[in-house]
Amino acid sequence: MDRKAFFLIAALAAAPAAAQRTEAQLECRFTGTDFVYDCALRLERGATPIEGARVTVGADMPSMPMAHHVRPVEAKPGAAPGEYRFRLALEMPGEWAVKLRLDGPVREQLVLRYEFDDKGARPAVRRARK
Amino acid sequence: MDAYAVSVLTNIGLLGFLALSAYLVLLAGEMSFGQQAFFGIGAYCGGMLTAMAGWPLPLAALAAMAAGAAAAVAVALPTLRLRGLYFAMATLAAAEMARIGFELLHWQVEVAGEPVGPDGTQGFRGIRWVFEAGLAPEGYAVLVWTALAAVTALLAVAERARLGATLRAVGEDPALAAALGLDVHRFKLGVIAASGGLAALGGVLFAHHNTYIEPRNFDVMLGVHGLAYALIGGLGTVFGALVGVALDVGLLEGVRVFQGYRMIVFGGLVALLLVLRPRGLLDEETVRWIGRRFS
Amino acid sequence: MLADLLQNTLDGLAAGASYAPVALGFALIFGVLRRANLSYGPAIMLGCYAAALAHGRFPGLGLGALAAIALLAAVLAGAYVERLCFAPHRRGSAVAAMVASFALWMQLEEIATLMLPRHVVAFPALYEGEPLAIAGLVLRVEALAAIATAAAVCALLAAILYRSRFGLAVRALVAAPLAAELSGIRPARVFFLVFALASAIGGTAGFLVAATDAQITPMMGLWLTFKGLLATMLGGLGSLPGAVAGALVLGLVEAHAQWFLGPQLRDFVVYLLLFSLLAAAPRWMRTPSPS
Repeated sequence: MDRKAFFLIAALAAAPAAAQRTEAQLECRFTGTDFVYDCALRLERGATPIEGARVTVGADMPSMPMAHHVRPVEAKPGAAPGEYRFRLALEMPGEWAVKLRLDGPVREQLVLRYEFDDKGARPAVRRARK
Repeated sequence: MDAYAVSVLTNIGLLGFLALSAYLVLLAGEMSFGQQAFFGIGAYCGGMLTAMAGWPLPLAALAAMAAGAAAAVAVALPTLRLRGLYFAMATLAAAEMARIGFELLHWQVEVAGEPVGPDGTQGFRGIRWVFEAGLAPEGYAVLVWTALAAVTALLAVAERARLGATLRAVGEDPALAAALGLDVHRFKLGVIAASGGLAALGGVLFAHHNTYIEPRNFDVMLGVHGLAYALIGGLGTVFGALVGVALDVGLLEGVRVFQGYRMIVFGGLVALLLVLRPRGLLDEETVRWIGRRFS
Repeated sequence: MLADLLQNTLDGLAAGASYAPVALGFALIFGVLRRANLSYGPAIMLGCYAAALAHGRFPGLGLGALAAIALLAAVLAGAYVERLCFAPHRRGSAVAAMVASFALWMQLEEIATLMLPRHVVAFPALYEGEPLAIAGLVLRVEALAAIATAAAVCALLAAILYRSRFGLAVRALVAAPLAAELSGIRPARVFFLVFALASAIGGTAGFLVAATDAQITPMMGLWLTFKGLLATMLGGLGSLPGAVAGALVLGLVEAHAQWFLGPQLRDFVVYLLLFSLLAAAPRWMRTPSPS
């Protein structure tokens, strides 16, 4: 994570073109129904919120990417600029690769890895396997 | 068409390559738990060639197929004299070594100011050739299915020709095939090379569909699913493998009633199906029966 | 350096002792049925999930009662797998039986996640005190329990196979299936009981592993099947003493490789060892009878 932050800062300082990288932050709340989450997504490009984008959100399981594949949903613009809200219904808890597709003012495709459980979602950390 | 339907169709096509490669090995009389490694090698090779070296996708796909075929031969050369579970375990061990190899692979280059390339367990982001070429999901689904149709047609023609009969003879009774003057070992190696290349082609297309791959994508679950698809679809025809994939990914995933219980339904269905038809839905007898109807 | 080597060896033997009953159950099924049961681990996992569920509902239950629940549920799940995947394919295709057992694996795993949807489920700990220190070496109390359990399981299995009528029937079926059937042994019944026995052994082993870790995840099924398969393979498929030896070798290789090379290369070394053994010495890998 630190290294990524370093890259970002280095890139911001060095090349303005590199600042055009899209940054996405995801926050999810468990709804109480099994494996359904209410999520808020923040999109930025070079510290400017991305507004008016059409955002489609899908999810795949890393260990069976093509067979466990969640029906993509369209995100709705949230209250804050650059915020998008959507409801994600997963098949089971655990790690998921959340796939974002942006159309409109910004065309982009991003994959975020998050771990989902009954407390919500956190960026997945890689533990050594047992 | 609905975006979800397009993505499901693409997934069926991608898994179709894997199931076909498992089917080829099964026909040759062996069972592989390791086809996911060649799928992964294809994904990594193809992704690195387009994203890091700037190759166009078709060229990268050919190179990745060659790498997948070479890897399959390298695994089979020392292990092909093993039979049954022994061969399956050898392929599994090789595939797990390949997966750990992906975990250890750190090689990134700067592309447009961003590091691009495999970053161990953190995965390999930014395989954007298809995205940047402006190909929409529908277009990509057509591309995947065209490639799959071409491969399937090729295999179907080969099956109707003498090659198919030879393959089944080698798979079902290698001693008899050898007595008839066939070089069984070399023939099997050829089939395994083809299976590795096919899996790799699926892998390249998967990597460019997803734009992101990671070592865990290619663990044993993927390979065993491919094997299961080939077997439940049936060993009588090349179309069986595709029927197997469509049954799981298309039918069961498409029917939302099974949401949350899909694997319970699928697991039970497969086990029951195999009781009734141990060589799958479209087994040899059924295929002959259908063939008589239409000739 | 020497202390590290000794400590690794001790840890490896302890891990090997916890693998040994897992491998024994797997090898028992393979040795008698000549079929690999991929659902072996998931059935045991389901047993542990049942115990965890009971622990959550009735916190007063002791470890003994929970172990009994885990064992019983594992045997039931194992019996279900046998009926659906192995009984119908007894004379038929080994591939079909194996793929069917894989299909039920998916099913058992989903049942487990529906029972307890959390990704990591708390499990009552076997022992919460400090580990023992002997002559500068650290020995966990759980390891002692694993070693004692492995020894007890080996002794009990040997007694069943060599001292009981059932054991005689099993050995007869393996050595001369046709002659055994002609002398009135019913293979279907014997195979079913072998499955139940293997599930009970595996259930014991799985419960011990879960209680040592004080947690279970849906990955446990894969873990158990893999450890059983690897140890059985390393020891020469189908031989019971070989399975125990394979389990100890697996534990030792893992412990040393982890210490010197780290966790990723640890797994790599294990697979490399298995691949090399298969490629270089296929004859070593062929032991005909399970005795």
